[in-house]
Amino acid sequence: MDILQALLSGFAAAITPVNLLWCLVGCALGTAVGVLPGIGPAVAVAMLLPITGKVDITASMIFFSGIYYGAMYGGSTTSILLNTPGETASMVTAMEGNKMAKSGRAGAALATAAVGSFVAGTIATVIVTLFAPFVAEFAVRLGPPEYFLLMLLAFTTVSAVLGKSTLRGMAALSAGLALGCIGLDQISGQGRYTGGIPELLDGIEIVLVAVGLFAVAEVLYAALYEGRVHESQNTLSRVHMSRRDWRRSWPAWLRGTAIGTPFGCIPAGGTEIPTFLSYAAEKRLVKDPADRAEFGTAGAIEGVAGPEAANNATVTAALIPLLTLGIPTSNTTAILLGAFQNYGIQPGPQLFTTSAALVWALIASLYVGNVMLLVLNLPMVGLWVKLLRIPKPQLFAGILIFATVGAYGMRQSAFDLFLLYAIGVVGVAMRRFDFPTAPVVVGMILGPLAEAQLRNAIAIGEGSPMVFLQRPMSLVLLLIVVTVLVLPRVAGLLARRRAVAAA
Amino acid sequence: MQKEQTHVALDEAEAPRALWPQALVAAGVLLIGVALAIGAIGIPSQAGYGGVGPNFLPWLVSIALIVCGAWMLWEVRSGGFRELDEAPGAARGHWPAFVWVSAALLVNAALITTIGFIAGCTLCYLLAVQGLRRAAGQPQANRPGVWAIDILTGALISAPVYWMFTQFLAINLPGLTRSGWL
Repeated sequence: MDILQALLSGFAAAITPVNLLWCLVGCALGTAVGVLPGIGPAVAVAMLLPITGKVDITASMIFFSGIYYGAMYGGSTTSILLNTPGETASMVTAMEGNKMAKSGRAGAALATAAVGSFVAGTIATVIVTLFAPFVAEFAVRLGPPEYFLLMLLAFTTVSAVLGKSTLRGMAALSAGLALGCIGLDQISGQGRYTGGIPELLDGIEIVLVAVGLFAVAEVLYAALYEGRVHESQNTLSRVHMSRRDWRRSWPAWLRGTAIGTPFGCIPAGGTEIPTFLSYAAEKRLVKDPADRAEFGTAGAIEGVAGPEAANNATVTAALIPLLTLGIPTSNTTAILLGAFQNYGIQPGPQLFTTSAALVWALIASLYVGNVMLLVLNLPMVGLWVKLLRIPKPQLFAGILIFATVGAYGMRQSAFDLFLLYAIGVVGVAMRRFDFPTAPVVVGMILGPLAEAQLRNAIAIGEGSPMVFLQRPMSLVLLLIVVTVLVLPRVAGLLARRRAVAAA
Repeated sequence: MQKEQTHVALDEAEAPRALWPQALVAAGVLLIGVALAIGAIGIPSQAGYGGVGPNFLPWLVSIALIVCGAWMLWEVRSGGFRELDEAPGAARGHWPAFVWVSAALLVNAALITTIGFIAGCTLCYLLAVQGLRRAAGQPQANRPGVWAIDILTGALISAPVYWMFTQFLAINLPGLTRSGWL
């Protein structure tokens, strides 16, 4: 009952005309950045972080989450219509969605993606509504050792498990942690790695790193390597689902949601695993031989519906660890955390008591945003598709203007623009040599927090690291971290042995 | 079976060209680690009663980067980075375009406080779009008409962005004048 009451007051805050407008602008902008190649939600939010200096926190959080959400809807449009999917989240959608589009069923694929995103997003928001307060209540009881280990778990999964190469993931994470070290140490006030440059005393803004690594690196990379890549676009058919499409889609949406939600809840991030799992499940579960034959040939609608739902459910549920524990599990949630920090608010269990109005307005805006996005994406999809006609040179050059706004607007320093370029060049090398970028951003944002928790934890243990073994909760978490690190390797080793034995 | 063989043959053909940049990247990671370690020497270790001082994390990441860099060098020596996805795009870079876009960003960084946001970003747009047009192999990029269109487009994006941020959101961006309009 308390939750319902809180949610209702959240709605009251979220549906004021001004906040509705922010939500609408966020959703529209999010859809646009999702559709456009070259910029994703992380970088869009990062570029707009300077507004945190002027805009009221509730409005800007509603705005940012609209972008976060909208990009997921828009991303599916691109992955279905263009033959080169942009981000990993939509890769799985692209597999069947593209085939459907090629066989003249782009409209049905777009419709199942949009409705599936709505269904999954809404169900996952209900789950956030119901469970986030309980997680927060539970999280109050966690001490620094547990927090540190939760963050360690996030680091481990982001760098060692999600990427292909653990080595390059660890290198990226270390680089992110090093970036987080620059500036004044939180506890002792000691300057670190400032090299006598006054601009560096305040540390490096997350905007710079995100915009540099994603936007500037993307433009430099496109100039360097992708000038002559020509994408072919599938033709858009009427956005409509037949009765058969509906019958095949809805179980896939629900299964996708069921697979995606738990993945979002755990501090392990990434939409790759749930979307692939959902795809595999749909492929295995399809019974009708005619439907089965469509997988990989004409394009099966289940293969779009399931992964799209899983994707949105994961992304929505990822707000639970962000809001209740203050632990981001993806690039975009890391930047959302940065946005909270700009307001001097640290998400965590106390957020539900100290900033209850904000949290509930944010959650309510998710419901509103989902409805808006359904309207923006179903009847108006033709409008968004027109964005794909913008020629690449003009689009990428235009992105640089927005990158400048984000980087300069944060601290009004031209020094930051040089830094932005340097980070962009590093980003090009990272992309070329297949280094993951999420560990850099997550490491940079979470690093200083994890360091503070570690130091507090050791202080609790009176200087002894044994504190991590003496508390039951932290021992469990430590074992989980070790399992997450060891299990995939043991499984790989066993699989290799079996393959050798079979040969 | 046949598929595997062609794959191996391809890898061997590409191997000599692909390895030195990897070695460079690995060495870069190693050097950053060393540089961070040198920087860490200067950070005091007084830990209070926590036992972990402000120099703990710097040392940890320095050592991690040194280990990662050394390991990568070993990977390069023994055949190249493991589990490497083929990089998207062309095998060889179009360096002139890279120089154009780099110039766009650096010129903007150097001049923005002097000539203002609108002029700086228009220039940035112009140089970047020219580079990208060349990368895309557009022969008409050099024509005066195209330059004029690019300058106009750059100004048409920069100016509204400037007004939106300075007038509507009240965020400070550098102007040529103090009017907030130019």
